Amino acid sequence: MDNTNTIIDPSNPALNFISQTREKEEYKQEVGKKISSASIGRIISISSIKIEILLASSELSVHDVVCAKMSDGRIIEFEIEEIKGSTANAICFEMTNGLKRGMDLYKVDGGISAPFSDKILGHMFSSFGEPIDKSNVVIDERKNVYKSHLDLSDVTINGDIMWTGIKVLDFLAPMRKGFKMGLLGGAGVGKTVLIKELIHNVYTGLQSNSIFVGVGERSREGQELFQEMKEGDLLDKMSMVFGQMGESPTSRSKAIYTGLTLAEYLRDAKRQDVLVFIDNIYRYIQGSSEIYSELGYMSVENGYPSQMLSDIANIEERINSTETGSITSFQAIFIPADDVYDEAVRAISSHLDGQVVLDRKQAEKGFYPAIDVFKTTSKLIDIEVVGRKHYDLVKETLRYLSRYNELEEIIAVLGIEELSQEDQDIFYRSRKLLQYFTQPMFVAENYTGIKGQFVKIDDVLTDVEDILSGKYDDVDESRFAYIGAYKNR
Amino acid sequence: MANNVKDLVNERIKEIKRKDNVYTIGRVSKIQNYVLEVSGLDEACYFEKVRIGNDNIGYVAGITPNYLNIVIVKQRSTIHVGDEVVASGEEFTAQYSEASIGKIIDMFGTDKMKDMEFDNLVNLRLEEPVTPIMDRTAVCRPLHTGIAGIDLIYPIGKGQRQLIIGDKKTGKTQIALDTIASLANDNVICIYCAIGKTKKDVREIHYELARHGAMNNTVIMCALNDELTPVLSLTPYAALAVAEYYLKQAKDVVVVIDDLKRHADAYREITLMTDKAPGREAYPSDIFYTHARLLEKGCQHINGGSITILPIVETKTSDITDYISTNIISITDGQIVLNKKNFDKGQRPAIDYGLSVSRLGGAVQTKKMSHLGSNVRRQLLSYMEKRDVYELANKEEMSPEMRQLIEHGQTIIKCLNQYKFEAKNESEIISTFESLIGDK
Repeated sequence: MDNTNTIIDPSNPALNFISQTREKEEYKQEVGKKISSASIGRIISISSIKIEILLASSELSVHDVVCAKMSDGRIIEFEIEEIKGSTANAICFEMTNGLKRGMDLYKVDGGISAPFSDKILGHMFSSFGEPIDKSNVVIDERKNVYKSHLDLSDVTINGDIMWTGIKVLDFLAPMRKGFKMGLLGGAGVGKTVLIKELIHNVYTGLQSNSIFVGVGERSREGQELFQEMKEGDLLDKMSMVFGQMGESPTSRSKAIYTGLTLAEYLRDAKRQDVLVFIDNIYRYIQGSSEIYSELGYMSVENGYPSQMLSDIANIEERINSTETGSITSFQAIFIPADDVYDEAVRAISSHLDGQVVLDRKQAEKGFYPAIDVFKTTSKLIDIEVVGRKHYDLVKETLRYLSRYNELEEIIAVLGIEELSQEDQDIFYRSRKLLQYFTQPMFVAENYTGIKGQFVKIDDVLTDVEDILSGKYDDVDESRFAYIGAYKNR
Repeated sequence: MANNVKDLVNERIKEIKRKDNVYTIGRVSKIQNYVLEVSGLDEACYFEKVRIGNDNIGYVAGITPNYLNIVIVKQRSTIHVGDEVVASGEEFTAQYSEASIGKIIDMFGTDKMKDMEFDNLVNLRLEEPVTPIMDRTAVCRPLHTGIAGIDLIYPIGKGQRQLIIGDKKTGKTQIALDTIASLANDNVICIYCAIGKTKKDVREIHYELARHGAMNNTVIMCALNDELTPVLSLTPYAALAVAEYYLKQAKDVVVVIDDLKRHADAYREITLMTDKAPGREAYPSDIFYTHARLLEKGCQHINGGSITILPIVETKTSDITDYISTNIISITDGQIVLNKKNFDKGQRPAIDYGLSVSRLGGAVQTKKMSHLGSNVRRQLLSYMEKRDVYELANKEEMSPEMRQLIEHGQTIIKCLNQYKFEAKNESEIISTFESLIGDK
């Protein structure tokens, strides 16, 4: 069996990972993962993340976890994705390098499970529910990450309105407890900064329990968030799950399940109002596309899997409020190739109650948050919820800005002097509005060099009303850039 | 001498063992360019190094119940159906020698100018797991490029991944070369990784760097245009493996990858050849992961070392929103966008200050630079936005405030102009711009 090993040179640095992974194995036994002693089947084919198994037992089902024991002591785990008679396809948690045909596989009890106890707070977990913050916290209570379902009667819909202190968000897209807010944007227009500002304003403001799920984003940002929370002494009410972009598609597509299981613990067992921050939910679909493509499933447009709609629905329907507690979620959504009509983006945004859309053109001009005012909406822009004044101001603002867009084109040809007085007013006031909607953010002090501001909604409404009514017609527009409320300028 | 004999004997014993082991021998059954189908070879591992015929090297890229897929990376002789394939028992790795510094090398540890292997080669795994979150620490030490527009406005820190993106002939490679040149005496190891460049390009880059005394701490690792496509697709991983080798010694490393668009195309070619399903623009669905796990190797490690990565991407018609570009932008910690129009107007470097981004901003600058930089940037962007809108407005009728702003913006642009290999240090940048900006 080990013929090939006889010619492996132990001093070969390519093999020096053995010692690290041995530790991992011991650790696994520590947290009580049970590995069956009898083989459940053998590997018959291998690709970069998928293996095919010739089954020796019929007791396996989809989502079961199996593992291979490597000759160097490593354990490589897989999740069963489909069973076809006597063979099964499974996907690897890490990489398949070093596996060979004919290797025995063993069942790991419990499938993918997440810790389900009070000890989750203050800690950071991998997509597979293992602590990765070097704290060595041992949590025995665990729950399978797929076992959760809400009935129609479980879901509640009402909640108090919630202010974020970000002017343009509160004004155009106000939210309430139990809300799903999407932050959509292409690459590098400020999604992550905005989500960090929301963590800063909402989490630290409300002191609610929170879960941060990092899906397919940068490890550096994970490190920064953990460090900032720790230094700010804010970690005690937050738990984090990371399946970042350098990790396998399996890790990236399972992080969200583990994160939601933690959130459900807080909602159902602890009866809390929970904030869930997901950066970035698009990467979940991306990860599962990679898996489905390896499994040989037919894809629809742009390589997305045909079951994308039901997959995303399964995830999103778990993010709901019940009688026991609420889940308010902020979900960053990456827009690939700046294509807002991307199928995956549309599939996710159909679940949202409100959305903030970030625009590259605004970012290019240095307007941050770089919001597209026309696409940024919320279900709550309704006279019954926010009141007539707020509603009318939003309507009037949008009227001004859409006229402004038309005028910009006219001016490019004719110049400003040719406009009617009314259009000139709209033009200059709109420019002031756009400048006013920028905001110095607490988490962006590094970029702007300006102190962050939390702005009350009443101040926003007053300022917008004053700009629209012409009160500030004599004030230069640059005075509105990067301020909080005008009176505190 | 005694050691030498011992090595020879050991080598011979290994060879005999290898020959006797029937399970590790297979036969080529199908040849499609650089992808082979091989029967037998039951004991081969996934990603194991194999020898085909006498002197061709490949690795196991897929195992099915009946045959193996082998991808060739080194071909010295013609391969025929029925040729013997021998498993090596080792993972496929890159080779590297510390003597490579100052040289042009490839991923197999060859000195390309002499066409000879280095002595003391070490094997480096191509796919180490990414550095875990807890082994990273904040990116906060500045990396001086000597270019005012970068150091002041969109700074790069040690451990940052900063994309350089723009059309052909806009000075992308030049920015990387300027950076390497300005780091010549900074105790930083630079790896310039050329993917699919012409031989002439590589010789020119070597000449330019040597001329500016920057080859003493630099390695040029190249996969030339006419090499096997799998080598093009693996070389950046080899470059990062070398970077990680130095990271373990707590050193600061800068890796330039020139360029990732070519790399994506090479990877696409291989996946289509091996029958993977095409996705957007016919790239496979794991193209994001391919680049993400490569660029995630950039980090500031807790041991004090760092890997800074400057990937380069070539665009068409100044469009940075195509699939590969947005993918890489979403991985890196910022981008320096070079604009063809700016280049044609004579602006050097042709940085588009509106579209460029640094996600770390002032965190990687000294306090003074950060304060000055954010002011310059704000004034510059506000000038550019107003310039676009008021282009046709009559200058005489503008408010004095506005007129001053426009003139001021033009001066800033002028001061940012800088020719190649004219590095400016921090105090020079500060003295130029402090008087210009004032303390606003």
